[in-house]
Amino acid sequence: MTEIIVVTSGKGGVGKTTTSASVACGLARRGKRVAVIDFDIGLRNLDLIMGCERRVVYDFVNVIQGDCTLKQALIKDKRLETLFVLAASQTRDKDALSMEGVRKVFDELIAEGFEYIICDSPAGIEKGAHLAMYYADRAIVVVNPEVSSVRDSDRILGLLSSKTRRAEKGEEKVKEHLLLTRYSPRRVATGEMMSVTDVKEILGLDVIGVIPESPDVLSASNSGTPVILNEQSDVSRAYEDAVGRLLGETRQLRFLEEPKKGFLARMFGG
Amino acid sequence: MNKPLEAVQEPAVEIRFGQVGLAQVRIRTTDAGVILDELTGRVASAPQFFERTAVCLDLSALEKEPSTSEMRGVFDAVRRAGMLTVGLAHGTAAVDALARSLDVPVLTQFRVQGKAAPVQAPVKEVPKAAPPVEAPVLHPPSLMQHQPVRSGQRVYARNSDLVVTATVGAGAEVIADGCVHIYGTLRGRAVAGARGEVTARVFCQEFHAELISIAGVFRVFETLPPELVGKPVQAWLDGDDLRFARIGG
Repeated sequence: MTEIIVVTSGKGGVGKTTTSASVACGLARRGKRVAVIDFDIGLRNLDLIMGCERRVVYDFVNVIQGDCTLKQALIKDKRLETLFVLAASQTRDKDALSMEGVRKVFDELIAEGFEYIICDSPAGIEKGAHLAMYYADRAIVVVNPEVSSVRDSDRILGLLSSKTRRAEKGEEKVKEHLLLTRYSPRRVATGEMMSVTDVKEILGLDVIGVIPESPDVLSASNSGTPVILNEQSDVSRAYEDAVGRLLGETRQLRFLEEPKKGFLARMFGG
Repeated sequence: MNKPLEAVQEPAVEIRFGQVGLAQVRIRTTDAGVILDELTGRVASAPQFFERTAVCLDLSALEKEPSTSEMRGVFDAVRRAGMLTVGLAHGTAAVDALARSLDVPVLTQFRVQGKAAPVQAPVKEVPKAAPPVEAPVLHPPSLMQHQPVRSGQRVYARNSDLVVTATVGAGAEVIADGCVHIYGTLRGRAVAGARGEVTARVFCQEFHAELISIAGVFRVFETLPPELVGKPVQAWLDGDDLRFARIGG
């Protein structure tokens, strides 16, 4: 049984690729066979975040066009046994993807026994984003706690309920999850940022995770290590929780409050 | 003569009551030539909308009661312009008599709109009992929308009311030829009476609308009136003015 999960948002720069990488790692760390695919043709990023950019020989478009086999294009992760990356093509544009081509790759991955296919969607609502979500069973909608991101996510949720295979075939609808990223409890408290409750209420969806704003994300990206693997970080724990919830575990939301400063830190303005 | 109960055959006729959209044509003259000219122009401006459309003639604006033969002339003019007269609008006893002699029904509006209709406080208005003489009008059931209407989506209830039991997001549009009822939060746009029904209304449970329009009269909310924000609100048309009020206090 293979589950296809799209990580999408509409808006760019909210953390789709970071989330795709961390969720894929989180699932693989639990022994699941996971393939994570970069749908952002022409703006290849996932391989950088995953730290395998120098090992990309063949990409997603090559597989679709029959230049190579899927096996040749899948890049095996060096840290996790059961994790594979399918990179996007940097030299092509999104028109190189086709519905049948994507289906063919998915069918092959399913035949290979992958349990999860994570689709890292490009920003926007154009063809690339449409193809990334079309075959999805579930969707993780990544949203920043600010109005434009929330608006774009609402738009994406509309497309998920009308422009996916499940919607067109009248099957059970795509399961939608909300993931808040770059959440800063301090700025929520001062009213500069929307709260989890606000976002939840506007979008009418349950929250699968709240990822705190942290410099750890940037340093993880720069070093090519998905942030979930940085055990020291709150971000890692928050993603780990989200993966747990994705698998049906019940976990309390964390990192919604500003960490209390210790006595010394308060004294010396730390 | 009753049919035996075990008859498996379906009845030859089925009678249903409901509402249908109907063009109401108020005439100010019985001069068939003038009417033909004017209607022909209107039909030519939007043939797909007006051609063979059902028309109800409203005689209330005429200065004196027309004769049966004058009315036959008017019917003929309407037909030649491309529309079909199906009845006369409810009015005086003379209209009833005229309708009888012309062999057409008298059609009653749910709310008869006279020029001098008393202005009421519509919020507290108790719905009037339906007029005793109900014309057999067909009405498709309200369009039901149980999923949230997301930004960029548009839901249109043709010839009927629209009932939304979820949220209408910012940038979404809900449109009905009749009323729009939203039992959730309205953050987007709501358009009632999309084809000119001035008695149509918009109702919502939590008001944060971007735009409200009724029969073409609209208002954009750049800033929301503080007394209405987040409250249950209804909007209706009072003449050419769009009015808003909280529901239930």
